[in-house]
Amino acid sequence: MVDPTLVLSSAVTALLVGSIYGVLTLGLNIVFGVLRIVNVGFGAFVMLGAYTTYFLYKDYGVNPILTVPIAFAEGLVLGYILYYAAFRRLVGAPELATLLATFAVGVLIQELARIFWSPDVRGFIWDIGGVEVLGVRIVYSKVVAAILAVAIVAGVYLLFMKTRFGLAVRAVVQDVEGAMVVGINVERIYAASMALGIGVTVAGGSILAIYLQQGIEPYMGLPYTLLAFVIAVMAGLGSIVGSFYAGILFGFFESASFLAFSMVKDFLGVDIIPYVLTRSAAFFLLLLTLLLKPEGLFRR
Amino acid sequence: MVRVRRGAVTSNRLLLAAAAIVVVIVLVAAALLLTGGERGATETPQPAAPAETTQQETTPAAATPEEEFAGTIKIGASLSLSGKYAVEGTRSLAGALAVVEWINDNGGIEVGGKKYKIELVYYDDESNPERVIAIVEKLITEDGVKFLLAPYSSGLTAKAAPVAEKYGVVMVSHGGASDKIFQQGYRYVVQVLTPASRYFESTLDMVKKLDPNLKRIAIIYKESEFARTVAEGTKKYAEQLGFEVVFFESYPADATDLTPILTKLKAANPEVILGGGHFKDGLLLVKQMREVGVKAKLIGILVAPAHPDFYKELGEIANTIVYPSQWEPSVKYAPENTPSGFEWYGPTIDEFLDYYNKVAAEKLNKPDLGVSYHAAEAGAAVLFIAKAIEEAQSLDPKVVREAMNGLKLYTFFGKIQIDPTTGLQIAHDMVVAQWQEGKKVVIWPEAVAVAKPVYPSPIWWGG
Repeated sequence: MVDPTLVLSSAVTALLVGSIYGVLTLGLNIVFGVLRIVNVGFGAFVMLGAYTTYFLYKDYGVNPILTVPIAFAEGLVLGYILYYAAFRRLVGAPELATLLATFAVGVLIQELARIFWSPDVRGFIWDIGGVEVLGVRIVYSKVVAAILAVAIVAGVYLLFMKTRFGLAVRAVVQDVEGAMVVGINVERIYAASMALGIGVTVAGGSILAIYLQQGIEPYMGLPYTLLAFVIAVMAGLGSIVGSFYAGILFGFFESASFLAFSMVKDFLGVDIIPYVLTRSAAFFLLLLTLLLKPEGLFRR
Repeated sequence: MVRVRRGAVTSNRLLLAAAAIVVVIVLVAAALLLTGGERGATETPQPAAPAETTQQETTPAAATPEEEFAGTIKIGASLSLSGKYAVEGTRSLAGALAVVEWINDNGGIEVGGKKYKIELVYYDDESNPERVIAIVEKLITEDGVKFLLAPYSSGLTAKAAPVAEKYGVVMVSHGGASDKIFQQGYRYVVQVLTPASRYFESTLDMVKKLDPNLKRIAIIYKESEFARTVAEGTKKYAEQLGFEVVFFESYPADATDLTPILTKLKAANPEVILGGGHFKDGLLLVKQMREVGVKAKLIGILVAPAHPDFYKELGEIANTIVYPSQWEPSVKYAPENTPSGFEWYGPTIDEFLDYYNKVAAEKLNKPDLGVSYHAAEAGAAVLFIAKAIEEAQSLDPKVVREAMNGLKLYTFFGKIQIDPTTGLQIAHDMVVAQWQEGKKVVIWPEAVAVAKPVYPSPIWWGG
């Protein structure tokens, strides 16, 4: 039968990698949920976060855990600047304009990264040990990354649900005109949300770097752009907490389909490539979601 | 109402925003052009033009032999001096030029009792497939070239091959390891480097010799054409040698976490693990094998370990990892150790390196252009053409192509011999190199190695 170690290992990986997917998607979904801007340049911000961790750890010896808040702050500032420099004009603009503009910003950041940091693939080793549970080795650095991801999601949740700022944001999301009528400065809410969204994305990239530690390069964000979109659609575009749940769900779905395909290969003797097929299975899940619950799984 | 009004305003603002973005892009592009221009000026003497005129500057250097030459034989090349293969392409160029100069300084090529000098006519293809096709056409129809060096990379070589074939011009592949190009029935396309399907053969030979009782081999590779060809060839050869392939699976190029597949790999209890794909996934693979606790007496990874950064990024766990390499500057191919049946031809490795450094510094104005297997491959391609012309005693590409079938050369690059029907390289062996104490050393074949293999790996197997 199926190796129980493999099942356990897959479940652990699903949980860990799923929480990383979750925090990345959250960054995308804040910007969409509040500003109705689809940030196609998402991957560039993920990359910035990864480089932040890489440089701070490798060149200055900063503990990688501390690089996450630094990356977050960096994203906040960048988000603010970008809002007033470009995205302010895109609120309520035709979709194509927002897509083009965010795409352009993403390409610009990537190319600048390539010029200043070269296209070399970088990596680091931050080995803080691990533990073996029932034959499955769990690496602490990945656990730390997952905990940081959960912490960020929880922070954003509390911010939106328990503070006056969050109340104002929710008011703007529900009804812009109504919010204006009760005296909410919509412009400032937009700016703050943009900053927060980019901040979470850059912090997510930093967490991703702690998780992977290898493969840091200017274009590394591209596959995560696609991934975050799929998960965001599954969660329901704009759904804040749903992003995180959907990320974990996606992680589990990837692992489960890997196990299933492996069984098909090993026990039925069908010549398939299990690990390569898991991605297509994930997109199948997306199709299924769109068919059965087009508003997203976690959208109320 | 509100929305409509805002739409009208934003369209104006959008125009402004678009204008602002365009201005920014133009500024950045201008800045890029400026810095790029500067770099071009310092690194390559004349950015676009240098490619067009080539040997003029050599003439004074080789002034004395020049008068003895009855004529010039042109070898054409489309090389990537800019774009994504710029580094590999520039090294290929320097390697080819080094061998051209060595041949000219050593009497040129003798055909029908007359001595000819060689000239390399080359253009920058910018790593762009469309440019490759145009350049190869131009080389053949306008420059009248009868012999060609292929461009760098399998992809670009595949683009150039049909053009060379169409005009019946001999083209030697030096940077295209793909087997597929040689399964198209081309008559005029031949290869001097080891094809992908044979990449791990020498590694398996070495394992067999080091550990005759070893049984269990795992193969894990990236889902790409190159890595798949390598993996399938490895599996076939491993089974021929009597190994048992206990794991054979691939991973997608953009996988985030390889833990599940590596857990499966670990459960298969392999003794030797071979695989990989390219640089980025190679690092990830090694790192995560470590995290999962995979054990192996020997780990062989494609491409990634050849890069100096491999050790820089991975540190200690990079040690004892081996990789197949077309060539390493420290390898000891020499006239003294010529295998029987083969004939030594061309410069020794030291001579090649001297010429290479001279060419890089004086002609290409890049004194710190490091040497790599790309340079040796291109140099070997020039040697192969030159020797075939001498052997054929003709400048007709058809006759020269026939002569290539009979050649069994031993050069600074190692053995060269092609399969007569397909043009595929059948003799050149990959050397096996290993990271030892943060340095890459050649450990196989024994005759040309500079260090003993560290086996079984203390880091990856335990102890």
